[in-house]
Amino acid sequence: MKADHRATLTRRQIYSPGLFSVTFYSPDLASQVAPGQFAMIDVPGRARPYLRRAYSVADADPEEGSVEFLVKTIGPGTAALEEMPEESTVRLLGPLGNAFRIDGVAAPERVAIVAGGIGAAPFPALLRAMSRAAVSGDLYLGGRSSAELAIRERFEGIVPGETVLATDDGSLGEKGFVTEVLARRLAGGAKYARLYACGPMPMFAALAKVAGAAALPAEFSTEAEMGCGFGACLGCVIPGTEKPFIVSCSEGPILSPEKVRW
Amino acid sequence: MTLSVTLGPLTLKNPITTASGTFGYGLEFTDFVDLSVIGGLCTKGLSLKPHAGNAPPRICETPAGMLNAIGLQNVGVEAFLSEKLPKLRALGATVIANVWGDLEEDYVTVVRALEGAEGIAAVELNISCPNVRQGGMLFGNSPPLTRSLVAKVRAATQRPLIVKLSPNAPDLVESARAAREAGADVLSLVNTFVGMAIDPETARPRISFGTGGLSGPAIRPLAVRMVYQVAKALPDVPLMGIGGIAELSDVLEFLAAGATAVQVGTANFKDPGVSGRLVRELEDHCKTRGVAIKDLIRRAHRTGGRVGGEAGAEG
Repeated sequence: MKADHRATLTRRQIYSPGLFSVTFYSPDLASQVAPGQFAMIDVPGRARPYLRRAYSVADADPEEGSVEFLVKTIGPGTAALEEMPEESTVRLLGPLGNAFRIDGVAAPERVAIVAGGIGAAPFPALLRAMSRAAVSGDLYLGGRSSAELAIRERFEGIVPGETVLATDDGSLGEKGFVTEVLARRLAGGAKYARLYACGPMPMFAALAKVAGAAALPAEFSTEAEMGCGFGACLGCVIPGTEKPFIVSCSEGPILSPEKVRW
Repeated sequence: MTLSVTLGPLTLKNPITTASGTFGYGLEFTDFVDLSVIGGLCTKGLSLKPHAGNAPPRICETPAGMLNAIGLQNVGVEAFLSEKLPKLRALGATVIANVWGDLEEDYVTVVRALEGAEGIAAVELNISCPNVRQGGMLFGNSPPLTRSLVAKVRAATQRPLIVKLSPNAPDLVESARAAREAGADVLSLVNTFVGMAIDPETARPRISFGTGGLSGPAIRPLAVRMVYQVAKALPDVPLMGIGGIAELSDVLEFLAAGATAVQVGTANFKDPGVSGRLVRELEDHCKTRGVAIKDLIRRAHRTGGRVGGEAGAEG
């Protein structure tokens, strides 16, 4: 059940300036949240931002009662999370949205995970679920430059397969868009049963074509500016193919790419 | 202690209601609010046919508030009656059906469709939405059009009729008078203010519609002034105050300005349990202070102070 959870900051890890994770003690949320779901975070006592912001849950540990978010600093809300002292309290509205599905994938089938920049945020939880289900796969991590890929540290030791890095400027891993790298691998004979992706809209548009051409079933964790996070404001719609608009927060955020008008 | 308030023919169990467009169909909030506890909920604006709304981006945050141009996306009156209303009835909600249309006939047809349904306490006419190209605010910004529309709807319903006023109208008191004289039982004010935000990088409006309706605490002083003004000019008309209400002190402020009830809006997005909390806090306030609700209403009109612009005000 959705609820507004009071949560205490227990841990912060900085991967590079402006790229970090925050972990909160929030046992009720930790026990309920599924991979791909999100929470609306309210940092109390601040005039800006006024509305909450949506953050994918990066990982949750029900035994520890912890919920982790991977964050990139882009404005006052994310800066508040970066600067917040330990033991500070926030409010986490969640769990919200739908979740990645890993049922229907069974070894020796493998999956591909594609992340653009901070789009890596929801995948530690998915990798944890894959590990429980003994599903293996490769992580494709793309960014503008090596600095943006500092987030790879969070994935060390938890990817049941290869971690493929790509940067626009070639400063780390393969040069080019991560979508092109995946397309090359697929053309070279790589076989996946499912594709999971999260990143900016242009990445999704390119990836939808790659997945379509390879007839690869896909689940995209979409992003739209949200007012409420639970389907009330209808602010976060995405143009759809089967109907004019999909409400990203309540019908998503995980959507099949053929349902979206890219 | 009763928190019950009477607005003409409409009696609410308490003065805390939720504003149209900020509370979905109520059902989105059942994890956070017991719908039977709040004074009432105004539904998403209902139209004759399902309406898809505007292209994204539809919202953007602004200082202490937000701009929106959702464009009145809704399931249409038929789906509301068959899918939403039975659930709301089962939950014991006091439902205020908000209605909009492109043309006068559309409003009348929707109101007629609602007329036979069980479990609707009142109808609220949206003549003040700034985010559609036809209808909406066009009716609210012209007293003759307001008068004509409200009279036609009045003839089509036995239910308490609320008319939601536009703060963008050239003369709000004139609009209020027109709506009242044409048969409105209650006036709710204010809807959103037309605003705009431009991305300084691209120089494009942040909302695809171009302009949007400004809401949230940013507009509260403007809304309080407008409620005060209409309450002063039309002291016999029951008012519902709307505009950036998020705390008990905001509720008390609107009641003092002359509202008999309030509608909580944008705060529902940030804090979905806010409406239920405000009912509890208002009850506690009345108990600990030993005051009745009626003593809280129009207090600012009784304190004797003069307000700028009123006859005799100085400076």
